[in-house]
Amino acid sequence: MRKRWIPLLLVLAMTASVLAGCQGGNSEKQSAVQQRMADSSVVIAMDPNSEPEAGFDPAYGWGAGEHVHEPLIQSTLLVTNTDLTIGYDLATDYTVSEDGLTWTVTIRDDVKFTDGEPLTAEDVAFTYNTVKESSSVNDFTMLDYAEAIDETTAVFHMTRPFSIWPYTMAIVGIVPEHAYDSASYGSNPIGSGRYILKQWDRGQQVILEANPDYYGEAPQMKQVTILFMEEDAAFLAAQAGEVDLAYTSATYSDQEIDGYELAAYASVDNRGFNLPAVEESTDSESRTVGNDFTSDVLVRRAVNIGIDRQEMIDNVLNGYGSPAYSVCDRLPWYNEASEVEYDPEGAAALLDEAGWTMGDDGVREKDGVKAELNLLYSTGDSVRQALAADFADQLGELGISCSLEGVGWDTAYDRALSDPLIWGWGAHTPMELYNIYHTIEGTGSAQYSPYSNSTVDSYMDQALASNDLEESYKLWQQAQWDGTTGVTQDGDIPWVWLVNIDHLYWVRDGLNVAEQKIHPHGHGWSIVNNVDQWSWKG
Amino acid sequence: MKNMTQTETNQRRRTVFFLIVAVMILAAVTAAGILTEGCAVETDFSRRNLSPSLQHLFGTDWMGRDMLARTLSGLSLSIRIGILTAAVSAAAALLLGTASVVLGRKADAVISWCIDLVMGIPHILLVMLISLACGRGFTGVVAGVALSHWPSLARVIRGELIQLRQAPYILVAERMGVSKLQNVRRHMLPHLLPQFLTGLILLFPHAILHESSVTFLGFGLSSEQPAIGVILSESMQYLTTGKWWLALFPGLALVLVVALFALLGERVRRLLDPSSAHE
Repeated sequence: MRKRWIPLLLVLAMTASVLAGCQGGNSEKQSAVQQRMADSSVVIAMDPNSEPEAGFDPAYGWGAGEHVHEPLIQSTLLVTNTDLTIGYDLATDYTVSEDGLTWTVTIRDDVKFTDGEPLTAEDVAFTYNTVKESSSVNDFTMLDYAEAIDETTAVFHMTRPFSIWPYTMAIVGIVPEHAYDSASYGSNPIGSGRYILKQWDRGQQVILEANPDYYGEAPQMKQVTILFMEEDAAFLAAQAGEVDLAYTSATYSDQEIDGYELAAYASVDNRGFNLPAVEESTDSESRTVGNDFTSDVLVRRAVNIGIDRQEMIDNVLNGYGSPAYSVCDRLPWYNEASEVEYDPEGAAALLDEAGWTMGDDGVREKDGVKAELNLLYSTGDSVRQALAADFADQLGELGISCSLEGVGWDTAYDRALSDPLIWGWGAHTPMELYNIYHTIEGTGSAQYSPYSNSTVDSYMDQALASNDLEESYKLWQQAQWDGTTGVTQDGDIPWVWLVNIDHLYWVRDGLNVAEQKIHPHGHGWSIVNNVDQWSWKG
Repeated sequence: MKNMTQTETNQRRRTVFFLIVAVMILAAVTAAGILTEGCAVETDFSRRNLSPSLQHLFGTDWMGRDMLARTLSGLSLSIRIGILTAAVSAAAALLLGTASVVLGRKADAVISWCIDLVMGIPHILLVMLISLACGRGFTGVVAGVALSHWPSLARVIRGELIQLRQAPYILVAERMGVSKLQNVRRHMLPHLLPQFLTGLILLFPHAILHESSVTFLGFGLSSEQPAIGVILSESMQYLTTGKWWLALFPGLALVLVVALFALLGERVRRLLDPSSAHE
């Protein structure tokens, strides 16, 4: 409630300062920027939800939470490269046993924590055992325990084969065993990463300073200040020249700010609808599960090819986005067979074939039942609301009458079992495919939307059991489409993917933002993954 | 003398005329809102973010919805919710106010305590809590506003009745054996009518404003409904980019409707109150 007033107050404050016409303020800002350029320091405006509530503790979601990013303050064993393959950070090598149950990682011997103590395999084992015990945001059930064989060798014993373990090793920051106290570590983290947490004013800002003893290439950006502000406040802050880089969204993309450029970075931050793939019934918890209309695979296929994704991008995202055909577009485990052409005639033909014939009022009917869908979106997200509205308009043209309903996340998960909900996904791990499409043991259905296909399941199980990462990519691809079945257009298509939303930022002229990996879901810390390589021109 | 009577009738006539016009305007807005509800939710991305023009008097929003239609149906929804909640509130106030006088001291103490309790909690907070508890949406808002707005009117009614109870004609009637209930019905309630009607009408602006504000804060009507609160909270994120029409017209319209209701209540009071009826 209070937050809503902040923008208003800011507007007032801004107007007041503009009216006061303070020329002096402008030149002061100019010199502040010049000072920052000279000091290699940068100020970034980030969305308030990015502030880690529990602090900078990997055990409580820092870096490895809902939104995945590099932990900066800590080092990780491995890293993801710009093409999302695996690279090395602390680790010098890793191997996995034939049965996939033992991972052996050797680490560098020259790494020190910022308090001067050396980082050893003991710390690695301690970190993973701690994270397994206390992580509430990430699933570590596949890890049995970690142990240190000697100073530089850590071994992970798994409960089940988990071929994509390297992707987990790329996000868990290593904490020092000798200086870890779960109560205070979050606000006073000691790591071995590129930056040191210098100051954290809760609700306002985080100041990071380059680690002078960093074992890798020394960070070019010496100081990074991150301000947490709402979108409109971030826009005003950029307009006032107070920040060097500010996150923004398509809403503001038609604006111009003097001295700033609008930068768009590709993402797998996708939006898509789940289409419940079973017929309506009531489950043991008396929830409605399934949807009689979308349970017909022909209907789902018609929806998938009947949607003009480019039009959606132009309409809703002002052109800043790319069509999405899967939950993992352009990632190494993406199967290009997911791609479809926009084909309204084909969609109409499919609906006719399914028995849904056009009625006099422009709405299709079958046995006296109207083709109707109730589309859900999360309240307060204007982009999802607009995407849902555009989706509804386009389905309307196909003869499917849609109503929209805003829901809160407290009820959305249950409601999505029977009505299509617009979701946002996109992560740097194939595990997301598993989470969305794999049948959960005991329930006979996938987690978020009723669907089950044993062939798809078995490919994903094989992929996880594989002991070769490259090999497992192929299996993940086959889970999507193997030539006869899968989750694509010619398969079961239990989810229809609409767009990948480009992440937009106002970037001050002269600031060199290093090449970005494809951003995952979440418009937060991803941008600063490589802030150490940023620089000021001239 | 002749002149005097003329102005008197004029004043009265003018008031009645104003009342009729005001009620007609409000009724027209309500009806128009119901009729435009279809337009209000219709999205057309080819006409996004248009500033006010002849085709779209109030402009359009980021999904190309016509703001005039949205404003009208928002006001209409607000007025309908206002009528419903004001009626429920007033009925509750009347019932409790009367009960506290008729049922004796203990009942009075309990009801007074309830009034103090509800009045002690900030209105908007109470509305939010009740609305949340009732699952938001239409039911939540109606329950929230209806269950939080009765105390002030109940207190007025109670005070008025306590005063009336001591009036000579009531005391006489009581002595002559008229039962309490009958006394209330026959002698007290008619006396109460002006205050009650005024109070009822003056509940509207409160109800409407609280409905909008609780919706604005996200605890009320769902965001797919064209409610004024939804419109205003959506417009917030577009204000910084200079789309002033999204907030200005709906906001003004809301203020006008509320002001109209307040004036209506004031005029009705003057018309019905014996001390000012002949001004």
